[in-house]
Order: sequence, then C-alpha cells, then structure tokens
Amino acid sequence: MITLSEYFMTILITCMIVNLGLALYGVFFKPNLIKKIIALTILGDTANTFALIIGYRMWVAGVPSRPPVFTEWRSNNPLLLLVFTKTAVDPLPQALVLTAIVIGLAVTLFLVFLTLQAWKIYRSVDMRDIRKLKG
Amino acid sequence: MKHWIGICVLILTILAISFVVAANINVLLPSTNVRTLAEIYLKYTYYPWDKYFTAMSPEACTSIVWDFRGLDTVFETMVFYLAIIGAIALARGVPLKPPKEIKGEPGLSLIVKTVTKIAPVLIIAVAGSIALHGHLTPGGGFQGGATAAVAPVLILVVFSQFYLLKRGVNKNSMLLLRSIGLTGIGITAFAAVLIGLATGHYAFVLQNQPKPLAPNISLPAFVGGQLISGSLWFFNFFEFLAVAAGFTIVFLLITLPEKLAETKEEKRAAEGGEK
Repeated sequence: MITLSEYFMTILITCMIVNLGLALYGVFFKPNLIKKIIALTILGDTANTFALIIGYRMWVAGVPSRPPVFTEWRSNNPLLLLVFTKTAVDPLPQALVLTAIVIGLAVTLFLVFLTLQAWKIYRSVDMRDIRKLKG
Repeated sequence: MKHWIGICVLILTILAISFVVAANINVLLPSTNVRTLAEIYLKYTYYPWDKYFTAMSPEACTSIVWDFRGLDTVFETMVFYLAIIGAIALARGVPLKPPKEIKGEPGLSLIVKTVTKIAPVLIIAVAGSIALHGHLTPGGGFQGGATAAVAPVLILVVFSQFYLLKRGVNKNSMLLLRSIGLTGIGITAFAAVLIGLATGHYAFVLQNQPKPLAPNISLPAFVGGQLISGSLWFFNFFEFLAVAAGFTIVFLLITLPEKLAETKEEKRAAEGGEK
C-alpha cells in the first residue's frame, strides 16, 4: 500500500526525468539559439532539483522535515540541537545549488551575449541559416 | 487542439508510471535519514560548546558556503566573474552614453512608471535584508545580489536605459562597486592571517573561529550582543555588492539600443558598404 506523500514524491521524480529528456531534446534538436538557451536553463534547473531531492529527508510520521536553519540557537540547549540534527534536511546540496543558480545565471547571460553577437554579424539566430553562411 | 491532447496524454502517462513505480519499489524515494556528513554539518553549524569546529551561524547553508567549504565558494565567485568578464569583453568598445537629445518620452505608460518608482526601493530593501541576515535566516550574498539586480532591470525596461545612465548607474561606477566587493572578499579571506601577523600567532586563510593549530586568532562571533558569525557577515555583504554590480553591468550592456551599440569600426564598415 502506498501513501499519498510517497506517490507525490514519485510523481515529482518521474516529472524530473521527463523534463531532463525534453531539455536534452531542446538543446540538441532545436535550431534556434534562443530556444537552445531556454532548454539549457531547464536542464540546469532539473539538475538542481535532483540535487535537492538527493539531500531531502522524508517526513517521519507526518511531521515535516525542517529546513537547515537552527532557529532555537538563543536557548543554548544541546537537546534542541540534537532534535534539529535528527529532523533537518541535508544542507550541502542546498549550498551547492545556491551557487550553481547564480553561476548558471551568469553563464546564461554570457550565452545571450554570444547570441546577440551572432545576430549582429549574421542577422540570424537560426543555426541552419548560420551554417549556410560558412563563417 | 492537438497540443492539448498530447499534454493530457503525457500527464496521464506520468501519473500512471508514478503509481506503478510507487506501488512496487520505493528505491526512488529519499530516505528518512540524511548522510553522516550532513549530520556533522547540522550539528556544528552553531555549536558554542566546542569553538574549534563550529562556524557560529545558525544557518547551515551559509556556514557551508563561507566557512566549511569557503575555498570552493571563492573559486565559484571566480567562475561567476569569468562569465561576467567574458560578456563585458564581447561588448568592448561599446559606448555607454545617453544621447544628447531624446525624441519623445521614452518608456512605458504613466501607471507602470508610477508603480516602478516605488518597487525598486522595496526590492533593494528586501535584497539588503536577504544578504545581511544571511547568517541567521535563509539567504546570503548570492541570493541578495541576484535580487538587487532585478531593480535596475525593472528601471531599464520601464524607463529606458538613459534614465539609469543619467543617474550615474553606468559601466564604470558598477565596475568600481564590483571591485570594492571583490577586494572586500579578498581582505576578509586574509583577515585572520593579517591579525595573526600583527600579533605574532599562527592563523589560516579563510579562518573564521579558532582552530586547533591556531587557537589564539578568531574573528568575533558577537559584536555588541548581535550575532554576526565572524567572517560570514562580511563575506555575505561583499558578495552582495559584487554580484549585484556584476549583473547590473551585463544587463546595461545587453539592453543597449542596437544603433548605439555599434563600435566605430562597425560604423565605418556600414558606411563603406553603403557607398
């Protein structure tokens, strides 16, 4: 017998796999450079979501797992820290994803700039047209 | 119409596959326990009973980003700036100056402009709060900087670029702000070493709290009763400046009108072609 939360989690993972396929299709087979960039951002976001799922902690007995922020730090109570350690999600993938998002944004801007240069030189962002021009 | 049928079939397939998978195997699901490494990070993120291992910040992500794996983040900042510098280098020779005369009134309608006069102030206030509370609540320099860069984009779209350029938000001022941010990150990384040199003790690069080999040097975790988590607050602040300024430069260059974006050589080539 499956629970509702397990079912939703499986739907999420299946959707991510489908998303991965769609993004790879877009990167490889769409001739428009802008559409390639859009597919690349979808690919990056899918990879980031996978990283977050790896570090996720499933709910125990219907109690949601906590974000990795120790909110009771003022109490100076080691027992609360122990509870926090046993209920919070993995902070390491979140830390990696946060820098990956910002760097991904910078790389996307760089690619947009390259596309802008291609438009200025070839007057087209379609790979089929650019290939015909030979250089 | 055909699109809708395809999308419905796709969604139903995903739901069915998920049901079959969830009913038979649960190998795809995350476990109820996290890895031992994660438990160590969670335990020592704020652990005042043993200062040798803690980052003194209740926010585990920020303490990983700027303390436990601080060197990684310095290199990630470098990758980020290589991308930004690549974009700036592609646009070299582009003059970023407002024209002397602007025909008509640039920008969108009055309603949008009035709203946009209020919104960037709020955006920058929220961004500053995200960045400066990064060691206490979810957030940090990267997120705050990316949020702050939204305000110039909004002004660019609604008021036109000349509005920003006339008020001093141009390439050079943003390069200055970015350089202040990057220099600040460098100084904060070497702060413990500099204090150690001045006082004659051992210290490490990117050191925050005392370490077993450098027990005498540490950056203060509390200032005036406020938790600032040693170097984390400074790293977040300077990263905020650097990221916000870097994105603003690229957005300014990317939204330049095409006729103004032509460099001198391109103009000459275009004129030569017409003759």
